[in-house]
Parts: sequence; structure tokens; C-alpha cells
Amino acid sequence: MNRRKFLTLMGTAGVVSAIATPKAAEAGVHTFPYYDNGYGVLHDLTRCIGCRQCEVGCNKVNNLPAPKVPFSDLTVTHKKRRTTTTEWTVVNRYDLGDKEYVFRKQQCFHCNDPACASACFTKCYIKNPDGSVSYNDKQCVGCRYCMVACPFYIPTFEYEEAFDPIIQKCTFCKSRLEKGQLPGCVEHCTMDALTFGRRKDLINIAHKRIAANPDKYLDYIYGENDCGGTAWMVIMPKPKGMAQCAPGNASEAHDAMKKVGLDTGLGNQPMGELTYGALGTVPMIISFWPLLLGGAYGITKRREAIAKANQEAAVAEERQKTIDAAVACIEKEQGKEAAEQHRAAMTAALEAQDSASQHGGEDK
Amino acid sequence: MRNGKALLSKMQTVACTICLFAWCAGPVGAAEQQQADTSTPAATVMFPVSGDKKVAKGSMQPVVFNHALHEKAVTNCGTCHHTGEPQKCSDCHTLTGSDAGKGVTLEQAMHKRTIAPAKKGVTPSSCVSCHEKVISSKQECMGCHNIVTPKYDEAWCNVCHNAKVTPEQLAKGSTGAMSNEENRAIADKAVKAQKPNETPGFFVPTKVTIDGLADEFKPVLFNHRRHVASVVENIKNDKLANAFHYKKEVICSTCHHNSPLSMTPPKCGSCHKAKVDPSNPQVPSLKAAYHLQCMGCHDGMKVARPANTDCSTCHKVAEK
Repeated sequence: MNRRKFLTLMGTAGVVSAIATPKAAEAGVHTFPYYDNGYGVLHDLTRCIGCRQCEVGCNKVNNLPAPKVPFSDLTVTHKKRRTTTTEWTVVNRYDLGDKEYVFRKQQCFHCNDPACASACFTKCYIKNPDGSVSYNDKQCVGCRYCMVACPFYIPTFEYEEAFDPIIQKCTFCKSRLEKGQLPGCVEHCTMDALTFGRRKDLINIAHKRIAANPDKYLDYIYGENDCGGTAWMVIMPKPKGMAQCAPGNASEAHDAMKKVGLDTGLGNQPMGELTYGALGTVPMIISFWPLLLGGAYGITKRREAIAKANQEAAVAEERQKTIDAAVACIEKEQGKEAAEQHRAAMTAALEAQDSASQHGGEDK
Repeated sequence: MRNGKALLSKMQTVACTICLFAWCAGPVGAAEQQQADTSTPAATVMFPVSGDKKVAKGSMQPVVFNHALHEKAVTNCGTCHHTGEPQKCSDCHTLTGSDAGKGVTLEQAMHKRTIAPAKKGVTPSSCVSCHEKVISSKQECMGCHNIVTPKYDEAWCNVCHNAKVTPEQLAKGSTGAMSNEENRAIADKAVKAQKPNETPGFFVPTKVTIDGLADEFKPVLFNHRRHVASVVENIKNDKLANAFHYKKEVICSTCHHNSPLSMTPPKCGSCHKAKVDPSNPQVPSLKAAYHLQCMGCHDGMKVARPANTDCSTCHKVAEK
């Protein structure tokens, strides 16, 4: 069997297993358990004034190191900052056009079905029933697949750490939630631009706010369905001069949401679902390997055996022909009796040679 | 005292405003009855005319529409008469909707708040949507109206639905049997009976010390009367504002919202607690409630200073 044949065989087996096995079909609709009663936070951009108090709160409750630029310097919000290993949340300013500015806080969105968790092969990420997505560094191998998978570019890696660098990201202040306290940023918000509550209640609150002020708000709750739904959601003001979108219409809200750095084009299915189908067949292929390799080995062996048998048969035939020719010569010259004697002697000699080559082959 | 003189002059202005209003009440009402430039009616009662000419049962009081006043407020007749014909609204928009009115009922034609732009021709506006457009175009209105939405309660309805006709007149009007003369006589009477509304003046507290949360900062000394006076002064000549701020407490109800209209409303802290109640997360905390009201109004009025993030202008930093 050559390499090409082997690969063809493997590919066929993979496809066949993906189609035929019920488990692979299940893998297509795999989702993390959806916790209906999970908490979330609604970020109302019409309220946010960019005071950075949420950053102060996060820094304080998580005992993070003091920032290089003090929190009182609000000009840093003009840059498009990203979360870092020591700043788990940052507020940036966005231009809606016509000298209209809004601020948006960035942090982990705590997806219902997190892409980071689906990408992590050491199961460091867990979606908790309280709504938070937590990361445990115990098993982390530092592959940074979670950073690649996250559609919001949130997990950050401790590149500056020489030994045992790990991922850092917003924890939803899980330890505080367990004590009945609000997340640090929510507690420090001076405008209640961050509203904490059960995710389903927050969706109702957001819809009510939009309905009460249909001209003020864009009729779209970012995170209600995006990426399969997120625990943290965002509502934003409708930029002046822009038409109102149809309620919850992602494609119509796209241009407005893009102005605050949010992509409504990520789809309503969890990120992980894009790959569950294909990746679900991988275990199938792995379970087929012994069978495939065993089969390939068996085929090779059988071919060898057939070839050997053919070769032996050919050798025996040649031998018989040679003996027959020699015996015919002897019979012509010395008569029939002598010929038979020589044939027996030759056969015996050849058999002796064969047995010698089989048993004492090593000595040669 | 900061701006003491300014305050005094403002207070004088407010006092004068109130007196002047009381003095002008009669003539203002009568003046509005003057005929407009065109041969349109001065004021008319708009009856709920049903398509099948039946009496509208359980109907509320019809609207006295001051045509002359509104005619001057819009750029052309097509704003309301969007078909281009000077016909009655109820010709097409009947109580139950008709094909001529594209199924838009009389109620929708008068009250719809959001109207999709027409693909071609004039985009119609309802009474309510046009009024909202006027409000959002005025800086002096957008302070309060940035943070408050009218309650749309009975009192709000009664601002327009004020014809006070007898059941017999209503029956006559809604079947289309009433003559134009009779209609206008009722309307004239109603317009003349209108009185200008009171505005909050000296009765409001002067200064309020907000100290419920003082910790990092010193208590805030909020000049309550000056804020009220400024709002009242800015809108005193606005007819739309005067009509809909039907009681002086309505102006108070921007900040003192969600409680019954009163000159002694409950304090902010009676609903807004220092920390958000987890079972009621939509109610902001006390700190956020103050900030949302103050900054929301300032943003709406385009008050440039202080910036929203300039804490120490309102709050003096506490010494440690």
C-alpha cells in the first residue's frame, strides 16, 4: 500500500463515520448548558459619561496593580484601548458623528455558549450557572487558542511572565457574586449605566427603555442573540441622522453598532457551533484508527503471503523442470534405472539444501 | 452668595410673569379667535365621525382644535392636510379605518408617535408626532424632555379633549348632522373659556442641601429655586408648553417623577436607595438617580459647563 492509497482510505473512512454514526450528528447541535436564571449586566451607552470609575472599581476589588496613567486622566479613553492582563475592563470613547460621543466599557461578555471554552482543549473555561464564564489556570498549557476563538478579543496572556504565564480576563467578580455583592465595576458606576440583574429581566428592562424612548435608542440589544446570547448586553443611542432599525434586526443595526465597535455580523449561533460539526468527527476518526491501521496491515501481510506462495510455486516448477531435463539426459545415455536413481538423489539433495537453509540459515 | 443678584432679578421676572399672565388671560384667549390669513375656520370641534355615520358610543370628549393657532405654527397646509386637499381628517380616517385612509384609524392618525417616512409624497404627521418634533427642536424644552416622557394619562388626554359638549351635541356631531355654524359656536365658547396655566413660582424651596451620600465629597448645595425659575422663564411664551403644562406641578414632575402631582413631592431618597435593590434593578441607586437627572437635563439643554466628568464643580472635595 502506498501513501496515496492510505490517505484516500483514511479520508473515506472519516466521511463515512461522520455521516453514518449518530454521535457525529449529535455533535452538530452541541451547546453548553444554557442557564436560564443566570445573571448579566446591561450597559446603557446613553448613560455612560466615561468617568472611568468602573475601571477604578475593577482595579480595587480585584487587587490589581496601580495603572501607569492615573484613573483621573480621562483622555486615555480617546484611544481604542484593549483589555490587558492588569486592566480587565476599559472604557473607550466612540464618535457617532456630528460631534456626538458615546463611551463603551469593554470586558468579557460572558457568553451563554463561550467560544473560549469551546476552543480550550484542557477545559480551563467553565460557564457557571450564575452566568459567569470563569477561567482556571490549573490545567492551562498556554496555547492561547481561547484568545484566537474569542470574538471580542478579551482573554489576555501574560507575555511578560517568564515562568508559568496564564490568561487574565474579567471574572464577573464571581467571588463577590457568591457573597451577594455586586461586581466591582457595577458598584462603582456613578450613572447606573451598568444595570446588574437576571439576564432575562435585563432584556425586559432594555426593551422597556427602548419603547419609552423610541427616538433616543437604537432598537437593538447587543448580546440578546449575538453569538448565541451573552450575559453582558449593550444598548446604544440611535446616531442622529440614522434611520431606526427594525426591532432586533442585526443587519439594519450593523452600521450604528459598528460605530461603537460592536459587530452585529457575528451571527445568532454560538461561535463554537461553527466548528462543532467538523470537530465532532475527530473522535470518530480517532476511534477508527486501530481498525484502519489493522486493516491496512492485514492487507499488506496477505499480499506478502500470496507473493511468497507464488514465488515458491514458481521456484518448485523451475526446479522440477531442471530435474526433468537432467533425468531425460541421463536416461538417454545410461538407461531408465540409473535415471530414476539420479532423480531420487537430486530431489533428496535439494530437500536437504532447503531444510539446511531454513534451519541453519544464520550460519551462512 | 454666588449669583445673588441674578437670582433676585430672575425671581422678579418670574413674579412679573405670573402677574402678567393673570392680567392677560382674557385678551390672549380672545386674540386667538381672530381669523387667519386664509378663509379657514378659526377653531373647530373635531368629532369622532364613524364611517357608517353611527353615534360613537363611549367616546371621550371631542377636541376643540384651534385652527388659526396651528396654521401659523406650520410652514404649509400640507403638514396636516397631507393629501393636498383641504378636506377633513375624518373623511378618510374613520373610527374603524377605511380603504381611503389606508386602514389608518382616526385614533392613529391623531396620536401615532412614530410614523415611517413615506416613500413618495408628504410624510403625514399626527398631532402627537408633530408636537414631539417641535419639543425635540427646542433647546429650552429638551432639558426636561430629555429625561422625562409624558405620562399619557387622563389629564394629558384632557389637555386636547376638552370640548365639554352635551351627549346630544356629541351624537349630532359624530353622525355628521351638525352644521358648521353650530360647531364653531361651541368651539369659540371653549377657546374663550381657556385660562392660562399657573407656573411654579415662590412656593418652591430656595436651596436644597443634598447630603444623603456625602462621603468622598462634601454635601451639594443645590439652588432649587434658581433651577425652577430658569426653566419657567425659558418656556413662558411657548403656547404648546403652556397648554400641556396644565398645572404648575407638571413642571415639578420632571425631577419629582413617578409620584402623584404635588407641590410637596417625596424626596428622591424615598424610592432611590443608596444601593440598587436586586429585586428591582431598573430603579437606579440614589447617586445614579441624581446624576441621571442633573446630567440628563444639562445635556438636553446643551449646558456646556460643567462637564459631566468634572466632579468638583458641583461637589466640593472633602478634607481628609
